Amino acid sequence: MESSYIIGSIIVATLATYSTRIIPFLLFRTREPSSLIKYIELNMPLMIMVILVFYALKDVKWESYPYGLAEIIGVCVAIALHVKFKNALLSIFIATLVYMVLIQKVL
Amino acid sequence: MNFLAIVKLTIPVMMGYIPLGMAFGLLLSKLLIPWYYAFFMSVFIFAGSGQFLALTLFASQATILEIGIATFLLNLRHTFYGLSMISTFKGFSWKKHYLIFGLTDETFALLKTSDVPEENREKVYLWITFLNQCYWIIGSVVGAVLGNIVPFNYEGIEFSLTALFVVLSIELYKKNRLHKPFFVALIIGLFGMILFPPQKMLILSLCLAAFVLIVFKRSMENGK
Repeated sequence: MESSYIIGSIIVATLATYSTRIIPFLLFRTREPSSLIKYIELNMPLMIMVILVFYALKDVKWESYPYGLAEIIGVCVAIALHVKFKNALLSIFIATLVYMVLIQKVL
Repeated sequence: MNFLAIVKLTIPVMMGYIPLGMAFGLLLSKLLIPWYYAFFMSVFIFAGSGQFLALTLFASQATILEIGIATFLLNLRHTFYGLSMISTFKGFSWKKHYLIFGLTDETFALLKTSDVPEENREKVYLWITFLNQCYWIIGSVVGAVLGNIVPFNYEGIEFSLTALFVVLSIELYKKNRLHKPFFVALIIGLFGMILFPPQKMLILSLCLAAFVLIVFKRSMENGK
């Protein structure tokens, strides 16, 4: 692969990625955010976070063995631990550990 | 907030970014691309799925224009993250451009959920973003240089990012005044995961969520 091709692609991908991140700041630079923008700012993050959970699970093959069992158990462990102990690091560590053991040794 | 507390906050991202970065570096080395391009890509592009996509397109010899358009469309979801950060970043110095540059899925998640006192918010945010990018760079360079030599079986460790999103969803649910958006997002997420093509799942689901949020503003705010 030619280095000019790789370098050109990196520059273009950099600009493309950065522009997706800067667009909203450019659009709402001057005027005060409207009440609609404030409403979106307040409520969109919760929706984004929930959708990111499903996004993280998008490549699971639900229709064949083990039917996403490791993912379901991992998510349930994270929810249960977090509701009970409210310690983010603990919930994430144990859930990940359970998941790793399940996919490496059990399923 | 001291440095140790900030590092602690980013540990779940570290657990996810280092192995995922290594997977990226490994794939890059398999395409016979020199390791230092892994470094440059992680420094300048800094978008997980975007960088994997770039490698896929390299392999199929896509044109540079195609790579630009595909990357833009794939990362379009980040626009929603910026939209939720406008007031937060307001009043920050020029350094906020690094925050905007580094607004990945995971960094956005941490910034939006961490309770930081107003006076040193900018500094803490910069550290979180910088640490996250360091993990990603370290992972991708190690993967590209070491290739297949892996000290232990870390398969599945990237689940820490899924768990992170789960935990932060619960945190945001407790913090949010309105709870209806949570249930709407659950339905949209589930629906999107099953019905939308994986590559476009996130942007389509986010657009649908924004649409429902805006169009049904009144009923969202009705009751709790």
